[in-house]
Formats: sequence, C-alpha cells, structure tokens
Amino acid sequence: MRPVLLGELTPEEILQELGAAPTKSLAARRLSELKLPTRKSEAYRYFDIEPLMEHDWEILQAPAAIGETERQIVITDGRVTALPSGVEVQVGCSDAIDIDGNHFDPLYYLGHLLSPEVISIRFKQDAKVTLVHRFTRPGRLLAYRTALYLDANVHVQIDERYEGEEACGALILGGYDAFVARDATLTLIKDETLKEGDYTPILSHRIKVDSQAACRLHTFDFGEGAGLQLLRAELHENARIDADHLLYATDHARRGTVSQIVHIGQSSVSEQRAKNILADKARGIFDALIKVEHTGKYAKAHQNSKAILLNDGAYMASKPQLEIYIDDLEASHGSTTGQLDEAQLFYLRSRGIAKEEARKMLILAFANELIDAIGDETLRERIHASFENAYWGATNVTCMETCHGCEDLAAESAAK
Amino acid sequence: MSNVMMDIKNLHAKIGAKEILKGVNLQLEEGKVHAIMGPNGAGKSTLSKAITGHYDVEVTEGEILYKGQNIVDWEPEDRALEGIFLSFQNPVEIPGVNNAYFLRTAVNARRKHLGLPELNAAEFLREMKKLVEELGMKPEMINRSLNEGFSGGEKKRNEILQMMMLQPDLIILDEIDSGLDIDALRAVSEGINKMKDGKRSFLVITHYSRILDYIEPDYIHVLKEGRIIKTAGAELVAELEEKGYGAIEEA
Ligand SMILES: Nc1ncnc2c1ncn2[C@@H]1O[C@H](COP(=O)(O)OP(=O)(O)OP(=O)(O)O)[C@@H](O)[C@H]1O
Ligand SMILES: [Mg+2]
Repeated sequence: MRPVLLGELTPEEILQELGAAPTKSLAARRLSELKLPTRKSEAYRYFDIEPLMEHDWEILQAPAAIGETERQIVITDGRVTALPSGVEVQVGCSDAIDIDGNHFDPLYYLGHLLSPEVISIRFKQDAKVTLVHRFTRPGRLLAYRTALYLDANVHVQIDERYEGEEACGALILGGYDAFVARDATLTLIKDETLKEGDYTPILSHRIKVDSQAACRLHTFDFGEGAGLQLLRAELHENARIDADHLLYATDHARRGTVSQIVHIGQSSVSEQRAKNILADKARGIFDALIKVEHTGKYAKAHQNSKAILLNDGAYMASKPQLEIYIDDLEASHGSTTGQLDEAQLFYLRSRGIAKEEARKMLILAFANELIDAIGDETLRERIHASFENAYWGATNVTCMETCHGCEDLAAESAAK
Repeated sequence: MSNVMMDIKNLHAKIGAKEILKGVNLQLEEGKVHAIMGPNGAGKSTLSKAITGHYDVEVTEGEILYKGQNIVDWEPEDRALEGIFLSFQNPVEIPGVNNAYFLRTAVNARRKHLGLPELNAAEFLREMKKLVEELGMKPEMINRSLNEGFSGGEKKRNEILQMMMLQPDLIILDEIDSGLDIDALRAVSEGINKMKDGKRSFLVITHYSRILDYIEPDYIHVLKEGRIIKTAGAELVAELEEKGYGAIEEA
C-alpha cells in the first residue's frame, strides 16, 4: 500500500481500499479532509515524511500468542503477547472506540483505519505497570492503536519502553487514545532510544483529561534515527497536564514532538517543558501549540523549550505557540537555542576537570532537570542510565549524581 | 630572595581587539603573599585570566613561566592540575551540577595527576563537611547546585572551600574580600592563612586594606593601565589609602 494514494480518495473509497469497518467512517472522513502529510504540512515540515508516504508498504498482520509475565504488558508487532498476572488491569480488544474528531494529524486517522482492532487497557484500580512495545519484523508498515482507560480517581504509572532492534526500516504508526476520568492521574514515562536504520515510529496520541484529573508525561527520546510523537490533549475543568520532553539526538537524527494542548475547561493548567540536546547533524523538532478556548477561563498555560547545539551542523526547529481566545488567564512561552555556556565550561576546567568531562557534566546538568522530575526513584535511575548510555556509550552514573543521601553515608563512615 | 614560583615577563594580552596588559613584569615568590592593587579597569582580573588560560584573553607577547615552564599555551585544566587556582571575582552559577559531585571530580582529577589514590564518596564528604563547618557555610550548600542562588558571600566562601580541598600551589584570589561582612571576611582569611605553608604562593587582588590586615602580604604591587608600576612592602597600603593611585609614580 502506498499511503500517498489515499490522499485523492473519498471517505467511502478509503474505507473500501483499506477494507476498514464502517465504524471507522469518522477516521476516513478526517483523513480525506486533512490529506496525507507532505513536506508542506506544518506538523511534518522538518521530518522528511514524503519518502515514507510514497513507499509501497507491505502491511504487517502478526498472529497473537499470549503468555504471562511478571509485571509487564508486552505488545509484539501490534498484538498483546504478554499480560501481567495479578495486576488489576483489563486488556482487551475492540473496534469501537471513541476516536478524536479534532486531531490535527492525518496519520492519527490512518493509524486507526489500518488497525484491525484497538488494544484497550483499562485501569480500575491504582497500578504501576511496564508497557513494552516490541517490533520484530523489518521493512513493514505496522499500524496498531492502544487505548488507555483510567476510571475515576485511579492513579496509574506506566513505564513505556520500546524494543525494536530487529525491525530495521519498518514504519510504525502507533500511539494511544488515553481517557483519564475525573480525579484520576496518569503518569506516563516513555523511554525510546533509536539507532540509525532502526524502525521509524510515528506515534500519534490523543489524551482526554477530565475534570480535576491530571496527566504527567515524561518523554525521553535518545539517539539516532527518525521518530516523531504527535500529541493532542484536551483539558477539562481544573484538569492539568505536565508534559516534559527530553531529546538527545545525534548523527543524522530527525526526532521530536508536535503537540496541541487544548484548554477547554475553566481553571485548567498546562506546563510543558522541552529540552533538546543536538549533536552532529541531528535535527530536533518541537512544534507545540497551546490553545485556550473561550470556555477556558482562568487557565494557566506555560510552555518553554531550550535547546543546546553541540555542533555546527545540528539544527533545532522550535516553534512554541499560544492561541488564546480569552483575557482571563496566565500564560507564557519561550524558546532558546544556544551552545554550552563558555563561562561555565571554563569554571569547571579551571578546577582541573578535563574538557570532555566538563562538557558531559554540563550536558547532564541540562538534562537532569527533566530526569529529576520523575517521581519514581527506580525509573529515574534507569532513565539516567539510559541517557548516559546514549551520551557516553556506557553508564557511569555515580551515587552523587543521582541521589542526595550521601551525607548519611559519610556520617555513618565517620562514626565508625 | 626565595625561589620564584611564577615569573611573568613582558606580558602583553588582548581582550577582543583591545590591548589590556601592556608589558606586565611580575615575580611571585615561593611561600610569599603578593597583593595587587590598582584602579578599576587596570587589568587585574585580566592578568588572573591570562594566568589561568581564560578564553577571553589572548596573550600576544611575553611569557608566563610557572615552575620554570612557559604555560601560555597550556589548556586551563592542565594549569589547574599543576596547581594553579583562581578564586573568581564573580563565580558563575551552574544549575544542575551538584556542588559535592563537582568538587569530588575536581579533587580526584588533581589527586590522580599527583599520583595519589582517589577519595571515595564517604572520605571526600567527611573532609568537605569539616571545611564547610569551619568556613561557617550552611551544610545544605554541599548538595545544592554549584553556586546557584548562592549569595555573594556564599559564593566567595565556596571558592575558598574549593581552594582548601584542592590544595593548590599558586593561589590567585580576585577580590575575595568584596562584599564580605566581617564574620565572612574573618572566616575566609583564616582559611587562607591556614593554607600558608612556606611553599605556597598567593596573589591577592584587592581594593581594600581590611583583608591585608588579616593575611599580611609580603609585597604590594600596583597595576595601572596594564603595567605593574610599583612594587613595595606592606607599608605601601597605607600610603595608597591616603593618597590614591594618582599619586603613585612609575618606579
Ligand atoms: N570580556 C570583555 N570584553 C571586553 N572588554 C573587557 C572584557 N573583560 C574586561 N574588559 C575590559 O578590560 C579592561 C580591564 O578589565 P579587568 O577586569 O581586568 O579590570 P580590573 O583591574 O580587574 O578592574 P576591577 O577592579 O573593576 O575588577 C577594562 O577596560 C574592561 O572593560
Ligand atoms: Mg577585576
């Protein structure tokens, strides 16, 4: 299938061409309205989407075989292959989910149209789970959608990992539709390190945060290759989203985030922070819109993007934007791009710290703010290690970089 | 005369296109305290930057001999490892770099260079805590980000803490006394005096006699318009305070 050919079709023809169920007519209609992305589409401008849309893809339909694991949900090639035992999570599949009629991303709709069924994960109680996305087949197009349902007042942490070393050259159209019910909290920590030639993830998310609910996103995108996450979040009354994005991209990477956060309800809050470290000829993307609807009185919306370019060839496409339809609110946004601070570098070197080590300390310090924002200590350490691996090729994080309990240690040993 | 630790000969240096140092000649003796005084903009900080290899300063002529070697082309970290330490007039803030982690990295780099075993976290922190207490710093400074949100006095004490941990051979203090209250000045001066061991050399840049009362300099040099125009004993301080720099004749 060549996605680009769908661009000329009517919604009916799209459904027919893809053999999709009539329940997907909304997706087909939106796809035909939005058209497939080209290099002129705002969201994909810096991503080189065209070769992917023009390629004649074989669509992957993998068979499912479910096993049990300790605490992980594993989705292999778009099918659930392992479920946690004993954890209060319901995993099922359905083709009737409430898709977002206002998403800006055509590939959100294409993903829905191409997914035979949606993997739905329902949380009725508080839970901490690991969600592994595993890709094993090279060169194919894999489309699958995941829906997350959090019942009212339920607090869930999902540690999302990606494994796809074998799936070189594949295109993944994925992402979740998340429904965070009243008073619930969804914390999602995504860790994705790619290498050149790996699969290309285009993860298009939709998050609905109900009244007084909260969503905390921590995305960590490291390494090479191409990958984009596209996110549309809706905030209802008193809802909040905290979205942190740390990008460390090297080589010829094209990686980043395109987001729209929409304040619908009164007194909703959004805090979005992006930090981007770009080396070699990497290109980073942060195209983020915060929109406050006329119903969103007293909203607070803050957005900030900072980028450090480590080489001349690196490039940051940063476009934070606010679109506001009311007066009664508090909003700010900003974007900076620069090099490592020379005065800071000199200070460290003037104390005998070698240049490379000093650079590493400053880069780690820049990244630390977002890594330290992870509440769960084990995960925080893991992301630290993951960052170090991506940056240094090995991890040598010492206790003093990550924890603040060393004083006790010193006191103990002094007492002996 | 004692052995010479540093011999600066006819040093010319530019910042951007502007020549700031215009032929500085200065010998720093082993085990001695040298003070440099001079009007604002004379080039005192520029001299300290030239000695430590700061990126702003380009040496265009002359030599800086340190323990007999010309260090003009050395990397800043190599100068530090060989024992040169500068307490900055305005130390930078480095958010996200833990003070203890930074200092341990620096101390161990120096120890490694000297062929000494590295200190583990516990050994290091024990030492650091002791000095933090001595200098009258708040214990939480240990785990704060380096200089971030420190007051002027806290930054200066943190510089002295680094000096004491690193045990350098040549110590340059650029206005260590500016903005310090009486207690801080006493704590800092005591720290400096403790470092005197008859071998170490000090270059103290200051505008005030207060600190010199505590640390008793052996020599006073006056730097004006990019040159050392006078060198004398401690008695010169009183004369300068009274008459100002305008009255000093080129010697
Ligand atoms: N980064 C810079 N760019 C341009 N000019 C500079 C820079 N740093 C210093 N200068 C200039 O060099 C001259 C000497 O400055 P320096 O800081 O060495 O003076 P100083 O003797 O330390 O003065 P103070 O007593 O005020 O600290 C001044 O004219 C100053 O404006
Ligand atoms: Mg100065």
